[in-house]
Amino acid sequence: MILELKDYLDDMKRCARCSLCKWPPLAQMKSWRFSNNCPSIARYNFHTYSGGGRMALGLALAEGRLDTITDELLNIVYRCTACGACDSSCKYNAELEVLWPIYSTRAHLAGMGYFLPEHSMIIDSLRKEDNTLMKPKADRGKWAEGLGVKDLSKGEKAEVVYHAGCLYCYDPELSAIARDTVLLLKQAGVDVGIRGSQETCCGSTAFQLGFQGEFIKFAESNIDDWNAAGVARVVTSCACGFGIMKSVYPLLGRQMKFEVLHITQYLDELLKQGKLRFSRSFPARVTYHDPCNLGRKSETYVPWKGTEKKVLGQFILREPEKAVSRGWNGVYEPPRDIIRSVPGIQFVEMERIMEYSWCCGAGSGVKQTMNDLALWTASERIAEAKSVGGEAIVTACAWCEQNLKEAVRQTGGNLMVYDIVELVRQAL
Amino acid sequence: MALRRDTYRLFENVVGPENISDEPAVLRSYMYQPFGSKEGVWAEISPEAVILPATTEEVVAIAKICNRYGIVFKPMSTGWGLHNLPGVEGAVSLDLRRMNRILEIDEKNMYAVVEPHVICMQLQVEAMKRGLNCHIIGAGSNTSVLASATSVVGYGPDGLSMGFSGRNLLGVEWVLPTGDVLKLGSPGAGSGWFCGDGPGPSLRGIIRGWEGAWGGLGVFTKCAVKLFHWNGPPELEMKRTPPNYVLKEPIKNMKVALFSFPTIEKLAEAALQLGEAEIGWFVSRLSPSFVGLQMASGANYVATWQTGMLQEMLKYSFLFVIFANSEGEFDYQQKVLAQVLGDTGGQISPVSESREMQELTATAVIKVDEVTRSCFRTTGGFNTSFGAMDTVDLAMSQIKAGRVLKDKYIRRGVIMDDGGDNSATLVFDQGHMAYTEMLLMYDHHDHDSAEGAYQYLTESNQAMLDQKLGTPIFQVSQVGQGKHGMFGSACYNYDKWLRRIKRQFDPNNACDPTAYSSPEE
Repeated sequence: MILELKDYLDDMKRCARCSLCKWPPLAQMKSWRFSNNCPSIARYNFHTYSGGGRMALGLALAEGRLDTITDELLNIVYRCTACGACDSSCKYNAELEVLWPIYSTRAHLAGMGYFLPEHSMIIDSLRKEDNTLMKPKADRGKWAEGLGVKDLSKGEKAEVVYHAGCLYCYDPELSAIARDTVLLLKQAGVDVGIRGSQETCCGSTAFQLGFQGEFIKFAESNIDDWNAAGVARVVTSCACGFGIMKSVYPLLGRQMKFEVLHITQYLDELLKQGKLRFSRSFPARVTYHDPCNLGRKSETYVPWKGTEKKVLGQFILREPEKAVSRGWNGVYEPPRDIIRSVPGIQFVEMERIMEYSWCCGAGSGVKQTMNDLALWTASERIAEAKSVGGEAIVTACAWCEQNLKEAVRQTGGNLMVYDIVELVRQAL
Repeated sequence: MALRRDTYRLFENVVGPENISDEPAVLRSYMYQPFGSKEGVWAEISPEAVILPATTEEVVAIAKICNRYGIVFKPMSTGWGLHNLPGVEGAVSLDLRRMNRILEIDEKNMYAVVEPHVICMQLQVEAMKRGLNCHIIGAGSNTSVLASATSVVGYGPDGLSMGFSGRNLLGVEWVLPTGDVLKLGSPGAGSGWFCGDGPGPSLRGIIRGWEGAWGGLGVFTKCAVKLFHWNGPPELEMKRTPPNYVLKEPIKNMKVALFSFPTIEKLAEAALQLGEAEIGWFVSRLSPSFVGLQMASGANYVATWQTGMLQEMLKYSFLFVIFANSEGEFDYQQKVLAQVLGDTGGQISPVSESREMQELTATAVIKVDEVTRSCFRTTGGFNTSFGAMDTVDLAMSQIKAGRVLKDKYIRRGVIMDDGGDNSATLVFDQGHMAYTEMLLMYDHHDHDSAEGAYQYLTESNQAMLDQKLGTPIFQVSQVGQGKHGMFGSACYNYDKWLRRIKRQFDPNNACDPTAYSSPEE
């Protein structure tokens, strides 16, 4: 297993309780209004909801300091999008893992049979239908009907497999974006195929909820299928899929004979190669929302394995040196380069961006189980977009887009929400 | 002793069910307090419930319930350290996190009115937009503005130009331990927030004196603090230089440098002269270890340390920052600095001349965001010692005493070898006062190390008493009630006054006295 609470005892025991996990990196704070980085502590306020509080909770569980697992404890554990902002802010000053103890706490609880009732439905759906949305497996490939795209599950060959992801496959509005994506790739001359009804979930939600057995099953199956298909590249629109494929799949020890790209990286490449060219203007003041899984959570995680020894008296020296993922190497520039290159666009940044971006609120099953938290979090992002005069917010994740759109509808604003592919299609 | 359900409901009626909790997982997370715990990370005593009031009215109602039903309460702002928790059984914690608004920034009169959970960085970024800046304590910009102004010490190295939190305190709204509300200074006379000492009652000495009541004397729900002129850009743009964020552009008329001196006496003389000349924006002792940990971590730090280069170059050094309002003033300050260095044998350290160090240090002195890195990262456990506020000479005496004492424990291997002299901070208020702390790092999960650190702290307190070095930061309050008595008889029996104050303002002893003073003789 890859999520073991005991592996993070030292991290949990060395939290300084300084609360840096509750803010963007201090040097990057720009205003009082947008000075939170963690939706969970910002919404619920008890220290327990912060990265540091969750570390304390995880440590208490690991040390047997909590006698009973209550419903409220489970609510606290899962009222968190596992967006990783706490982790990124902490590592500005320390080298502690914060996000992985959060995952491991969930895995610890799930391993004992403790999770929310809604999670049963999600995991059952995953087991039976290969998706977390409770949709029939047989319908997964319907979005691509009539596109004339190769189906690798039927033995056809292609250089690139396009992995749409669960939401893009099943949500009618988002399916249109998946169709547009395939058309764009074909227009650029890419030898692309899909896996139709045989495409399966990436396992991201299962991983983040702590169901690591299910995650491993789906991850290994995907790696095997893509290896068997002989593709050189896996291109996905699903930011969650991209994040998990980049950050966690490599830990499974299976050789990945393909390169994983997010669609924003691939489109950026095709635009820079001149294989796609914009011809139409998009006159609007546009901002960009960094999906957590495309940004700070897409760095390949390297678990530290080694020994600690004391030097200079009590200085704790790790051998070998620990590789620290601060979220600085996520996919940040490709989507921005695409947006900036669209004629007529006035691109403007929000205050919280890149590795200290504010989460949309949908991640880690929160959209499916605690929609009030998801929508509150999204409404904060919408307020931030408006504060910089944004007329439209562009993103590159199906969950972000869906959640932001619902929050705009609920708050009655006129901010437009676009998937980056929609923007590209409109500008071509 | 769990809270009775009917009492819990009284609190719940005040703040709403979502803002009170006695869930064991919540209470346990609050008990995680490594800073100040003798060993390990867990407090021994749990609050019975944590309550999140949002307004002064809610704080008043909670305090009145506590007085009526004999329940002890303890407030906290950002909650960093064991002293934030109640030290008695059966108490409730008031986490003031929801009281987090900047209520006013008066640009013309240069002050801000804040609630308890506004942190220094939030105030700084808003103040800078208006050409103003705020004092940030040495513990960092992640701490509460109000807490250091009203309740806990309040020194920071920018105090050379931006004072001390206790002095910067203007008007105050105070919920007494009884639940009555008292407004101090000008708000007490309905005259706005501009002054802490009148018109209206001035109780600055009562509410905090030198080091504050550490949450043991009611709840300060609003306060005004002085702001200071900021001559830099309204927003500071950063760039990434892993693992740091540093200023994208140098700030005009700012000069940051480390200076080293042949002896500690010469260093003290330089600090005094600079203060008397009323130049400079920031000054702090910075130990070779502190500097090294800003530059490197892990094996790189150890390798650098073992060369002895930093210790040699920075044996007696301080970081000094000039930040002038004009080129003319900048030149003037540079000339004065050169003269002081000439008089005292001071030299600029080449360490601080590299572009990387310039960027790093200039950012750190403004943002004060590097404390966790230098203090907690190496061993996990951290504490501080000495720290009386007095003259430059007394500060130097503390450094000398601390160095001797720390060397003993370093030789025993129970605390980190940081060269012994890991003192921080220096003169403030343009040299009229001085202050220094002696930092120490240890492994709080290693019994021998934790015990050694505790012995060191105990011995350092005794050294302050024996060598007449003043009263130490933290240890008096952190060790708990009754410890003031150790210093009281040597310091005008101030402990008796604290007890009297506690009795008068808190007749039911409703506000946890542990970190402050017991009302009993």
